[in-house]
Amino acid sequence: MNTLRAITKKELHCFVDALIADGTYDVVGVKAKGKRFVYGPLDHAEDLRLDHDVTILPPKKYFLPPLESMMQYDLKKPFEVQATFDNKQRIIIGMHPYDIIALQQTDVVYLDEQQDDFYKKRRDNTIIIGSDIDAVSERSFAGSMNTHVADTGFDVLISNIGTQYLLTIGSEKGKQLVETYAKTKEATAADLKKLQQKRNTLLEKYKQKVNITTKDWPGVLVANYQHAIWEEHADTCLECSSCTMVCPTCFCYDVRDQVSLNLKDGQRVRTWDGCLLRDFTRVGSGEVFREEVKERYRHRFYRKGNYLPARYGFVACVGCGRCGIACLPDIADPCNLINELASFGREEDTERFFIKQKTTVEETGIIHVPRSATVTRVEHFNDLDTFFEIQLDDGKPLGHKPGQFVEISLFGIGEAPFGVSSPPSDTPRFEIMVRTVGNVTSKLAQLKSGDKVGVRGPLGNGFDTTSFEGKNLIFTSGGTGMVPMRSLINFVLDPKHRKKFKNITILYGAKQPKEITFMKDVDHWKTVCDTQCEVTVDRCDEKECWNGCIGLVTTLFPKIRMDMYDSKNTIAIVIGPPIMYKFVIQCLKTMGIPDENIYVSLERRMKCGVGKCGHCQINGIYTCKEGPVFNYNQIKQLPEAFE
Amino acid sequence: MKQKPRVAVFDFADCEGCELQIANLEEEIIDLLEIVDVVSFREVMKEHSDQYDIALVEGSIMRPIDEKRLQGIRKNAKILVALGACATIGGVNKIRNQWMPDEVMKQVYGDAKVKGNELFNVGKAKALNEVVPVDYYIHGCPIDRDEFKQVITALALGKKPEIPRYPVCVECKKNENICQFELGNFCLGPITRAGCKAICPTHNMPCDGCRGLIKKAETECVKEVLERYHLTYEDIRRRCTMYNYGREECTYDK
Repeated sequence: MNTLRAITKKELHCFVDALIADGTYDVVGVKAKGKRFVYGPLDHAEDLRLDHDVTILPPKKYFLPPLESMMQYDLKKPFEVQATFDNKQRIIIGMHPYDIIALQQTDVVYLDEQQDDFYKKRRDNTIIIGSDIDAVSERSFAGSMNTHVADTGFDVLISNIGTQYLLTIGSEKGKQLVETYAKTKEATAADLKKLQQKRNTLLEKYKQKVNITTKDWPGVLVANYQHAIWEEHADTCLECSSCTMVCPTCFCYDVRDQVSLNLKDGQRVRTWDGCLLRDFTRVGSGEVFREEVKERYRHRFYRKGNYLPARYGFVACVGCGRCGIACLPDIADPCNLINELASFGREEDTERFFIKQKTTVEETGIIHVPRSATVTRVEHFNDLDTFFEIQLDDGKPLGHKPGQFVEISLFGIGEAPFGVSSPPSDTPRFEIMVRTVGNVTSKLAQLKSGDKVGVRGPLGNGFDTTSFEGKNLIFTSGGTGMVPMRSLINFVLDPKHRKKFKNITILYGAKQPKEITFMKDVDHWKTVCDTQCEVTVDRCDEKECWNGCIGLVTTLFPKIRMDMYDSKNTIAIVIGPPIMYKFVIQCLKTMGIPDENIYVSLERRMKCGVGKCGHCQINGIYTCKEGPVFNYNQIKQLPEAFE
Repeated sequence: MKQKPRVAVFDFADCEGCELQIANLEEEIIDLLEIVDVVSFREVMKEHSDQYDIALVEGSIMRPIDEKRLQGIRKNAKILVALGACATIGGVNKIRNQWMPDEVMKQVYGDAKVKGNELFNVGKAKALNEVVPVDYYIHGCPIDRDEFKQVITALALGKKPEIPRYPVCVECKKNENICQFELGNFCLGPITRAGCKAICPTHNMPCDGCRGLIKKAETECVKEVLERYHLTYEDIRRRCTMYNYGREECTYDK
């Protein structure tokens, strides 16, 4: 497609003015702001600056705006929810190659099998008129990232060749646009030569250079995960996340509900979030999974140079240098950091902690908009825990596997993830249990039968129960870990399935007797033959009545009738609070159960549930996509998983 | 329909500017009145009642009689919200804490006979939470109207209001401002709580820290930045005097 047209400076201005005058498009381009540059609406072609070095913010603001409405709802009529699409036709003029490439990277993430419809709409409605680089930003190292030139990803590309400009046509849309609005000539061989010369000399203009190729970034990072440099730099980190805000390849977001002052209507919005901020990994119960600045500081570089390369095949840094400019203590620049790390050494054969897994998409429709559902039963287990039976209003079954989760929405309050606690079923009903910890859970606890909630899901991978067939099973759960575990236990104990599995042991530890959830199920499990069910509590207040065991869940292990277990043919499933895993897994190892026979389900801040928002990442793994169920052998080496 | 929460607005040592921000909601104030019953609000109404659920309290606490009055409010209110910098962190009133109250009185009132008059019995300026427990904070000098609406709607919905725990830089970057440091100014944005939409830097004024500091001036990272920009600890101390005198860090909702 790439055909080349020549255009004079004057005609180029006429072209831009014609686009503005036409009124079909919202025409934005690079403009001066003081001594810096920004993308903004163009009133006249004269405002357009194609001699810019770099803009303060990348053009991502037009595809993933800093604050974006995703849906609107009427609080008086729950479930009159409408997705809010930006239908504006837009032309962006002046995008440099590195920004074009950054956008192509974002496409890979946002237009995957769980496509982000809001992004898609904006992307489809935007025409990109790129620009070759004239002035190189002092902090840019695009030359080292091979992002100083772009062959694709634009509709038209403008190149200044001194006496006139060349227009490279990159798409049918671009061709139409140029034919309709611009007066161009055929480009000559001499023009082409000038363009090549310009691109060849561009490389020399880069003062900032990365000493290794992008292919070697993961190796250098993996080799230095524990290096003191992370802490040294993190000591001077302001935790302001300016680096992620200005980054063209940072696309994590937070979701909030905003309600109008009259409490009649509201909207769910998303806004840029940054992994340098402490609250980024905070879950409802208050736990922060990357507590230290060092961990957050390191995470950003690993995401760019190791995690995303493993997942998508590209280093998620395009060398624009914006973070280097924005960071006051000047510790954010990947060029400087990678060069520093490279001087320490690298690993040739990098073992990467990554689980390749195809996500099965069961949802249809817009992935962020919940389906309407009705609460059909509420039971208060104790002052903290409430059990719900929920029925999907479309009459279709949830279609979940044990271990999968759903996002439950309350419009005006928010959305939170919950493990499904009922076994798979062909009715539209499913069950969850909610422990009151934050805003969504407190409000849920007040719901009555007949109230409406929103449901997204099932999300996550769930357990592959067929792989458990013919095996002994040991279930160990602590606290609310019983919620997803109950789904699995009731599935295997179902008379229809029971024969497929051998001996079954259920170990369950709660903090105190009143926190034992699903007491009725527990009592039932104790009566099922070929099934051992042991329950313990950490402590028992004087006022409470309890004649069972007291002690941590690990104290139940000696009760397992070992003679019935061939450890090699035994599968252990562990779900509980973060602290529990280490100790329980030790007990299982003592029993001789191999690591690959151990399965865990991990809790993280699963916000979008579709691998976009970035909150649930454990190193390179998205808990919401590759998890929450993991084979222990696969992730036992994964940093951050059990620390 | 459920009964609307009853709201009362009070003020202490302040300019009443934050209350004015509420009054300035203009037509939206009708919406506000649909979701809450305002039972006391001296700046805009004559009526007063001591029966209220939510107390919005503006101003710093200066005198023993103020402390007593605030304690009374605390007793009546189910939820007490500090409104604006004077109430949340002491704000500009704390500037005078650099001197002894006696000195200040002498400077202002000279030889006027005020001794023994409890109206003039002034101690150190205090934020509300130095006297009574505070449930929620609406920061700023003045408060941001959108944040006010957000907190009020959250309380009316029975939800815990959430205010940012990250610095102003986050919002400043989203507004695509040129960094104040890049312009040669000394900005407290990197260590000040966000939520103001970075209004000052967006209008080309460096941040003065009115929403409270989220990092100590002594932290390594702050020292590093000061050094880079040829500033001293004394510079930052002086700069923080405006709103954060004597306060090293707001730690109340970490």
